[in-house]
Amino acid sequence: MAPSMPFDVIVIGAGPNGLAAATRLAKAGKKVLVLERAAQAGGLSARREFHPGYSVPGILHDDSLTTKKAAAALDLEKHDLRFRSVPATYVAEQGGPGILLSADAATTATEIAKRSSHDGNNYSLYRSFLSRIQPVFEKILENDPPPLTPNGWREVLGLARRGLVALKLKRKEMIELARVAPMCVADFLNEKFETPFLVEALAAPAVASTWSGPWSAGSNTNLLLRECSGGESLAGGPAALVAALVAAARANGAELRLNSAVSGIRLSGSAVSGVTLASGETIDAPIVLSSADPKQTMLRLVAPGSLPITIEEEFRRFRARGSAAKVHLALSGPLELPATGGARHEAIRIGGGHVDDLERAFDAIKYRQFSTRPNLDVRIPSVADATLAPQGHHVVSILSSYAPYTLEGGWTEEARRALGDSVIAELERHAPNVREQIVAAEVLTPLDLEQEFALTGGQIHHGEIALDQLLVLRPSASAARYKTSVPGLYLGGAGNHPGGGVRPTAGLLAAEAVLIR
Amino acid sequence: MSGGAAKSYDAVVVGAGHNGLICAAYLAKAGRKVLVLERRHQVGGATTTEEIYPGFQYTCCSYVVSLLRPWIIRDLDLPRYGYEILPLDSTFTPFPDGRYLMRDADPERNRRAIAAFSPRDAEVYKRFGQEMAELGRLVKPVIDDVAPDPMSRNPKELLKLARLAKGIRGQGDKWLVGNAKMMTMSAVDFLSEWFESENLIAPMSVSGIIGTFLGVRSPGTAYVLLHHYMGEIDGSYRAWGLPKGGTGAIANAIAASARDLGVEIRLEAPVDHLLLEKGVAKGVVLEGGEEIRAKAVISGVDPHRTFLKLVGEKNLDPEIAQQVKRFKMRGSSGKVNLALDGLPDFTCLPGYGPHLRGDITIAPSIDYLERAYDDAKYGAFSKRPFMDIVIPSLTDPTVAPPGKHTMSIFVQYAPYNLKEGAADWPNQREAFGDAVIDTLSEYAPNLKNHILHRQVLTPWDLEQIYGLTEGNIFHGELSLEQLAFLRPMAGWSRYKTPIDKLWMCASGTHPGGGIMGAPGALCARTMLEKRAV
Repeated sequence: MAPSMPFDVIVIGAGPNGLAAATRLAKAGKKVLVLERAAQAGGLSARREFHPGYSVPGILHDDSLTTKKAAAALDLEKHDLRFRSVPATYVAEQGGPGILLSADAATTATEIAKRSSHDGNNYSLYRSFLSRIQPVFEKILENDPPPLTPNGWREVLGLARRGLVALKLKRKEMIELARVAPMCVADFLNEKFETPFLVEALAAPAVASTWSGPWSAGSNTNLLLRECSGGESLAGGPAALVAALVAAARANGAELRLNSAVSGIRLSGSAVSGVTLASGETIDAPIVLSSADPKQTMLRLVAPGSLPITIEEEFRRFRARGSAAKVHLALSGPLELPATGGARHEAIRIGGGHVDDLERAFDAIKYRQFSTRPNLDVRIPSVADATLAPQGHHVVSILSSYAPYTLEGGWTEEARRALGDSVIAELERHAPNVREQIVAAEVLTPLDLEQEFALTGGQIHHGEIALDQLLVLRPSASAARYKTSVPGLYLGGAGNHPGGGVRPTAGLLAAEAVLIR
Repeated sequence: MSGGAAKSYDAVVVGAGHNGLICAAYLAKAGRKVLVLERRHQVGGATTTEEIYPGFQYTCCSYVVSLLRPWIIRDLDLPRYGYEILPLDSTFTPFPDGRYLMRDADPERNRRAIAAFSPRDAEVYKRFGQEMAELGRLVKPVIDDVAPDPMSRNPKELLKLARLAKGIRGQGDKWLVGNAKMMTMSAVDFLSEWFESENLIAPMSVSGIIGTFLGVRSPGTAYVLLHHYMGEIDGSYRAWGLPKGGTGAIANAIAASARDLGVEIRLEAPVDHLLLEKGVAKGVVLEGGEEIRAKAVISGVDPHRTFLKLVGEKNLDPEIAQQVKRFKMRGSSGKVNLALDGLPDFTCLPGYGPHLRGDITIAPSIDYLERAYDDAKYGAFSKRPFMDIVIPSLTDPTVAPPGKHTMSIFVQYAPYNLKEGAADWPNQREAFGDAVIDTLSEYAPNLKNHILHRQVLTPWDLEQIYGLTEGNIFHGELSLEQLAFLRPMAGWSRYKTPIDKLWMCASGTHPGGGIMGAPGALCARTMLEKRAV
């Protein structure tokens, strides 16, 4: 490369993906600079003190997506990253004892069978189907998307190797996979289970932060992807992943600069020549790898008008409408759900009781409203990590579905308060004393998420998860394999395969794309 | 002709719908002796025209011809038997704000009409049509042949797939991406990639939802848009038209052609069940007890009826029975047919004009359509439904007395499974009819003064009268997991069924519903190739 340049690669954004890309590249001997706009690394996975003395270990709170394979590739365990088993999720039930879903299939099946032996049976079958297809999905999730039309023997061979893993499936399983993948998650789960609130609880993760409801076709693919991802949680949550990644990046020689927002990607001719910071400073590098969202990178950081119209069009079409809100509560004591008999669960799922309630919650955003009865993915990280709150106090992290980016009448202070109220009211149905325990609350609407974290549309996955925005189409045909049509510019964030969440895979795969270039 | 009990047939077809008749005709053409049994007093099934009110011929169910395969028309010489399609040239969409959009075959007129809403969309519209026709090239080979089987490990099939893959590869990335998106996106998302005006997107998007239990924002609805551009592929401007004499005339033409080829058709001969001996289909038993034997039985009714009623669940492998039950029917639409003594007068475009001779679409906005869908999701008919209206008497005066008219209103959504249960439809039928007329009257206030007679067909009625399970007009939801090699069940998409000597030839098989005829013809072709008859 050009010897005069101080850096081989500039990485935009120090979230898990940006840090993973930097680590991988530095490990391969590249001189890497990571630029982060915020005062700390981590992006949506960073620890957030939302009220003095009260923190959540990340805006994103599902920490079971990082694979051991990715951690090993980045030497993260050497930098103190520890896995732990996934805590059980308690599914709250109006007027009933609820169901505890634990990572162990047999335990959960027994638990479900207490309610319905039909469902208990089918849960075992469901989990064994998932474990059969998991190797196939794992292969897909840990590799770059295949080329649309393979060129040359290496690509053809690569494609064949990917195909081979599918042969491990029996014909019947393959057919079943083809049948169920494009289905809507409600149909798929209703075929199996007769307990309405169980169906709703199993369906909810498949549609959270997407622009779809449980009756939307294709939502089942997301369920399968989700169920086949990762497997273990992180001790210390998302923030622990960030800490390990920062340490690994530094240990390999990558430089990390905080408070350094990139305002533009500079081109010389048609190729990348570096970046410009908001401060006006310019830094040169022949390669820029952006872990910011694709729309932002390609339509804003790359000066408008410098891309061919057809390419620009691809990114304009990439849908990135935020659909969920985050609510953080600081509580003066533990969250008490009388139905649990005093058990301290780390994860709680609260819905209306029927999959149609989840669909109704989705209906709201179609008409630019937030759900009056939202579906809640509740985590209480302070159960496992007491340092997050003062002695005896707790923090609650809630991902609330659904809330639109564009609210009728705009996201006024009043609207934000009303959203928070609707979330607390829903929580109150199961934890009647919660309101008196609240020390402080923070509500982040999709608009807030956009403004604070530079996420287009407040879309926490950097782009909606939908059948037409996966794999070779994520974020667009021209950039799905991380390399964009601009020489020297790579995308390596959640907007690329395998998508968002607390995991470093997209960044890692983007770094590989840089290295084999 | 009268069928003697001792007669033996090569094949007996259950149901004289258009697919059953076409299948029978092709088999007869190949020299086979075929009997078609029909429960009702006339042929056609849902392809029917009936004089429900004296002097007025209603096209009760299906009302336009979309994709009847040209090779079938030629093979069966249908024009000689009275098959004639009158063009349905325009689509008129009134809006509540007093504006309207009229689209027809003239590109320049379209450009001007659309420019009133968005000059940008007006420029894009023509290019969109061209690209769609380009993308549609995939559809033609797929609907004109048996479904490919990507799950197969049979070398012959793999070779066929490889050839298909090679063909696809030759089309280039852009075409590939376009098709992948079409198959997975919602109609609204797909159209929004091209257009900005809702006044254009909403009326265009509805072609993606007709007959389905999906909304215009539901993924998987985009690909049906392609069907609108199929006409170009078949060599004429537009695939949509009104059959002279109503859709029943098509059934009559096919029946006449079939009879000339030697097919025997018995009306008012309801089949009660399949004659099974050691798990092999040997014929059928009529409701009166009469047994009719044949070397093969071909079912022209939907998969639920075929397996759960004709065969009977007790005769099915439990796994197959489960698969059949999982096959989603879920009728979502109804029909309102009117006899009128005057024409509707639209507030936004008063008086008589070409807009009344084409298709009239009530689809004023995306939210409107989506709300109509939301009603249905929770078990109620749409209070303000999507409607697709034609006035056949303006194009074909033979269907109504002089100066009078028939109006066919296709209505969505009307879910078969009401909150109160499907059996409650008779109690809600008139309220449903009222919702339709009230909504339409918002655009054409004089309508109510001209109604001489009103026929309301709910999905429950479609099931009762026409034998369509759950009133599904396509014999099964056209959702991704119920198409191609998965229609109606994986492994059984090629007209053969798990019951030996029992075949299926109707819309519940690939390539599916509408007056297309392909399932019937492909079933006959497959049976002849396999020497099943």
